[in-house]
Amino acid sequence: MCVLSRLYGYAGKVLRINLSSYDVKVEETRKELVRGYLGGRGLNARRLYDEVGPNVDPLSPENRLMISTGPLAGLAFPIGTRLNVTAKSPQTGLLGDSNVGGHFAAEMKFAGFDQIVIEGRSERPVYLYVHDGSVEFRSASGLRGLTISEAYREIRKELRDVRAQIALIGPSAENLVKFSGIFFNVYRPAARTGLGAVLASKNVKAIVVRGDGYVEVADSKRFEEFVSFIEELIYSHQQYWPRRVMGTSRILLAANMLGFLPVRHFQDSVADYPYGVSGERLALEYNVKNRSCFSCVLPCSRFYVVKYGTYEGCFGEGPEYEALAGMTVRIGIKDLNAALKLVSLINDLGMDVISVSEVISWCMELFERGLLNKDEVGLNLEWGDVNSVTQLVEMISRREGFGGLLADGVAKAAERLGRGDELAFHVKGLEMIQADPRGLKGYGLGFAVASRGADHLRSEPFIELADDPRLGAELFGEPEATLRLGVKGKGKLVAYYENWCAVVDSIEVCKNIAENMEILTFDRIAELLNIVTGIEVSKDDVIAVGERIVNLERAYLAREGIRRKDDRLPKRFLVERIKDGPSKGHIIELETMLDEYYEVRGWDLINGLPTTRKLVELGLSDVVEDLERRGIKLLDGKDLTSGLPTMEKFTDKLAKLRLSDVVARLSGG
Amino acid sequence: MVKRKLVVDPSKCVGCRYCELWCSFKHEGVFSTSLSRISLIKDDRLGLDYPVVCEFCDPAPCVASCPTGALNVLSNGVIYVDVGKCVSCSECVTSCPYNVLKLHPITSKPIVCDLCGGSPICVVKCPTNALRIYPVGVVEYGLEELAALLGKQFKRAAEAHKGLMRLWGVRVE
Repeated sequence: MCVLSRLYGYAGKVLRINLSSYDVKVEETRKELVRGYLGGRGLNARRLYDEVGPNVDPLSPENRLMISTGPLAGLAFPIGTRLNVTAKSPQTGLLGDSNVGGHFAAEMKFAGFDQIVIEGRSERPVYLYVHDGSVEFRSASGLRGLTISEAYREIRKELRDVRAQIALIGPSAENLVKFSGIFFNVYRPAARTGLGAVLASKNVKAIVVRGDGYVEVADSKRFEEFVSFIEELIYSHQQYWPRRVMGTSRILLAANMLGFLPVRHFQDSVADYPYGVSGERLALEYNVKNRSCFSCVLPCSRFYVVKYGTYEGCFGEGPEYEALAGMTVRIGIKDLNAALKLVSLINDLGMDVISVSEVISWCMELFERGLLNKDEVGLNLEWGDVNSVTQLVEMISRREGFGGLLADGVAKAAERLGRGDELAFHVKGLEMIQADPRGLKGYGLGFAVASRGADHLRSEPFIELADDPRLGAELFGEPEATLRLGVKGKGKLVAYYENWCAVVDSIEVCKNIAENMEILTFDRIAELLNIVTGIEVSKDDVIAVGERIVNLERAYLAREGIRRKDDRLPKRFLVERIKDGPSKGHIIELETMLDEYYEVRGWDLINGLPTTRKLVELGLSDVVEDLERRGIKLLDGKDLTSGLPTMEKFTDKLAKLRLSDVVARLSGG
Repeated sequence: MVKRKLVVDPSKCVGCRYCELWCSFKHEGVFSTSLSRISLIKDDRLGLDYPVVCEFCDPAPCVASCPTGALNVLSNGVIYVDVGKCVSCSECVTSCPYNVLKLHPITSKPIVCDLCGGSPICVVKCPTNALRIYPVGVVEYGLEELAALLGKQFKRAAEAHKGLMRLWGVRVE
């Protein structure tokens, strides 16, 4: 039994594991870091910036994999708690970062740690058993090659502990597939950006946590009241029941109605068979019960069983929208049973289903256009061919034949194949999610600027789906900001939501509830942090944390050589108009939105780098020094108006750095 | 006196551990899944979520096993632990037929469900209505006309249905 520190809400300890020497060190969680970055994604991003430099190869022992929770993990807070996994990504070579729910985060806190940092490389295959403040390196030689569910069973059998929480990698990670993930308790993957391969490169098959500790809050009475208040907000929310019945799988039918589905690799934005593969149908015919993350009152994960047909008896949790749309409309499969089987296969092998759906649909489109033929792949890759897809998935996982080419991600595959580069839909090396940016322009801008590559979870400007110009006018001073197909005001919208997402990812709560359902606004987060940790913070402080994290991640990318030219979207979305459906005729006006975005951020419009003034304002002077020492020239940004953008003061405190000013200054020395 | 106890509807439990956390908070003032009187059995691969809690056995083996007489049954069936008499020998833990009773990780004294004095916090906080209190009052089943009409066929349906009603927290005789 370990008694946790008096840093309320936190465990107060960081666990550092060096696998090369099997050294274990326990450090204090630093209070000033907690104040500046809160936890989770923020804490990890800071450590990555400080400890993993530009020369580190992602699959080398020098790379560090960090798992971090936030101040709310382990508490009976009604919004499920999560954790963040960060390392340098082997897939993009940049920031690798993935967020996951389930019960691991809380158990890790009960075991006594806010953050686990893993470095080095073990010479024999091991799994780490972290319990009550200590670490055991246990042999994993018997686990090699086992799928996620098999290894989960074996470890549970060996440890004989029902409460042990297990994070695992599958066989694809062992084969260093660049988009393999870390799977928490079988069905919950932290799969984006290939962190499974990082763990595999360290010769670690699994991380197990278990603890008997406890967490205290600073003010118990106010906490109880605040929880009742939040519970009521959640239970009375109009999205409560749709989310509880369908989770995010409900988006598929909605996306078809609005016209942003990735049908046949983004060739169409609407499908003519949406109900057959929808979350609605899953709920009606497949789902048998709900399951939930730790301490969540909106259990949106669904356990399904396939009732009949070839895949009768196939069961599992999920799938969420990304997996569902990825294995149905994106690759042309119309059979829901087959899609479920494929999702479960990809998960069990330990891969990111979003990236898999992109590499396969990319091949299929090349096939359709005659740029790829049967002899090269060894398979007939027609749209919706379940058998070929299944075989290709297994080939990728084993890095066999053509699968070996695809296993490095679509960007590198296109490069090595020398064909289909314009059709490879990724940003900064990370494959695109299941939403057509031409039909969701704020999301599109979000993909382009997201710090980990094409991803909606960095900004998630859900409000634009409301399509209500009054909201935009009121909140951002631009009616178009909250119109799905609008352009003006998207920079402000995305910047605001990016700050919000960064905070939500750092206090490690569920983004669906906290942000999409607008339950935890900045002022409520400030109140909550005060109740839980006892630290006095204002709403503006919380917004500043979000902005600090976004700027720090940007600085990290800048150090790796990322500039404005890399904030791009694949060509199809910029030039080809959507053929049909409610978003017909639209392209995405990226450059206009980018200008506005950098302006709002107080960044340099030419290079997309943060300005000195912005970084100093956010307390990141050490980052400025570091970048300058490495010869990265930042603009000073002196003509920026001061103050952080807040929802109310967004317009009058807007950064005034105009493109013409920058050009004039650059040319004038 | 007719005893009340907690009933669990396993088809509704989602495994969120909200019951455990509030139990621990109410009894210990801190949040921990090791300090709660109710505990979840989980297996993520198969989707198993099932909370286990004191069944209020009559006679109670834990009470019988206690060598110092620290455990007693109150009139409402709840087990009362006299901490002063307890010597932490864990005989009660071994004797519990459901393996529900456990020792407090810090004080090493047994912790067991006390029904929170009548309105258990776990029942109040459960987000899916999977937990209920089995009530004192008995409801008359009252389907004699169906039983007479359908005979054996009805018997089977009624057995299953009465089982369900128990899960819903309705006491049928």
